[in-house]
Amino acid sequence: MNYSALTRRYFDAAVNAGVLTGADIFRGAAGSRAQGTWVQFDVQVNSGIIRAARFLAFACPHTIAVSAWTAENAVGGPARAALPESVQALSERFAVPAPKLGRLLIVEDAWLATMQAAAAAIAGQHGTL
Amino acid sequence: MHRPVYLDHAATTPIDPRVAARMAQCLAADGEFGNPGSSSHDYGDAARAVVEEARAQVAAAVGAMACEVVWTSGATEANNLAIFGVAHYYRDYGRHIVTARTEHSAVLDPCRELERRGWRVTYLTPDRGGIIDPAQVAGALQADTVLVSIMHVNNEIGVIQDIAAMAAICARHPHTRLHVDAAQSVGKCGVDFGHLGVDLMTLSAHKVYGPKGVGVLLVSRRGVQLSALQFGGGQERTLRAGTVATHQVAGMGTAFALAAALPQSEGERVASLRERLWQGLAALGGVLRNGDVDRSVPQLLNVSFEDVEGESLLAAVRPHLAVSTGSACTSASQEPSYVLRALGRSERLCESSLRFGLGRGTCERDIDTAVAVLGHAVSHLRRVGGA
Repeated sequence: MNYSALTRRYFDAAVNAGVLTGADIFRGAAGSRAQGTWVQFDVQVNSGIIRAARFLAFACPHTIAVSAWTAENAVGGPARAALPESVQALSERFAVPAPKLGRLLIVEDAWLATMQAAAAAIAGQHGTL
Repeated sequence: MHRPVYLDHAATTPIDPRVAARMAQCLAADGEFGNPGSSSHDYGDAARAVVEEARAQVAAAVGAMACEVVWTSGATEANNLAIFGVAHYYRDYGRHIVTARTEHSAVLDPCRELERRGWRVTYLTPDRGGIIDPAQVAGALQADTVLVSIMHVNNEIGVIQDIAAMAAICARHPHTRLHVDAAQSVGKCGVDFGHLGVDLMTLSAHKVYGPKGVGVLLVSRRGVQLSALQFGGGQERTLRAGTVATHQVAGMGTAFALAAALPQSEGERVASLRERLWQGLAALGGVLRNGDVDRSVPQLLNVSFEDVEGESLLAAVRPHLAVSTGSACTSASQEPSYVLRALGRSERLCESSLRFGLGRGTCERDIDTAVAVLGHAVSHLRRVGGA
């Protein structure tokens, strides 16, 4: 399979791969290694703003690239229950083939789970990680 | 321009320059360009002499007689001719076929087509090393079994089947013919058609530094009959109509003669390189070897990488290495290898498996590059995946 230059760059570098530790860190994940796609995000949220973000992904190059881009572009933005771009926009940005769009929904689910964890903790219902 | 290290010789090989030179002699006006079927002038005679010389070269390389060689367009056509040809000719004796789940798709797909036409097919499952026990063949034979089709060297994992034992079993059943797909065998391990006692054998040129587009079906003189699949000129004893491509068969003949002349030290050299590759990959940890090590050709190594997603692994190494996830003929489907599935590997491990095909041009530096590239890729993907 051929990949766009952008996909190739984010897949190869994966600069935001990893986990965060410390205060105000929230985590969410979706998918399954056994099913071939698993994504996790860690974010550090302070005053409603995402200060840092990391990801882990057992996934195809497109999914890794989109996860890396999401972690990079979420920083500095509000901790809201949406990806920095829609799944449709991301699929076009990274030239993701139509049969693989379901994998981007796993990225979105992981992101939503992370934001829900953050919102719940901030509301005092759960502690931070 | 940087070119990736080529480690996919099981898919195809570059043409040996001596083969290319021989082929070129058959193309231009000052060479043997005539139609080998033309008997009314010297041009045809010259071309026919080339075809018969090539026929003798191929036969000599595999212990067959020249009259047992039937030219085809490649191994796929040879497999189709063997399977459909036997099934059709012996249809009044029976409509049962025995094959293995790990056969090439050029055998499995014709068998599935025959199932659609009313034949019954028994698919044998190998052990975890990829080996079919000859006793399985014996157990699968029925009174109306007309064909057993088992490959000699598996194209994905390189294991060698005990064809001689299977031939002895089939010989006890007068209406059962044994076909062997040996497309991966020549140049990798010994092939002796006459000694093995099989009825039909498929050969390919482009796996042996010959050209694509030409192959052979060996048809034993010991009373094997086939129905032809195409008609139009009566060539190849009416089994394969169509003008014989002189330059192609000359190339195959030369390639097989060169393969037969390879010293034993070449096999030892490649075996040493494969071991170097395996030791380097095994040191990464979480790497599993596929196929029975003690019964495989030295040119092939198939491994599965734990905790690595398959497509990402292939994408990570692609700029530096030309390897495959399985058969070149099915890799476009992006489906996990059915061969590895038959060995009991999980779907995840099948997806994260790579086949390394070593060849005459492979050197230690290529192996060391492969180990370094795989080491970086696996480490990177395991880190990204949180393993």
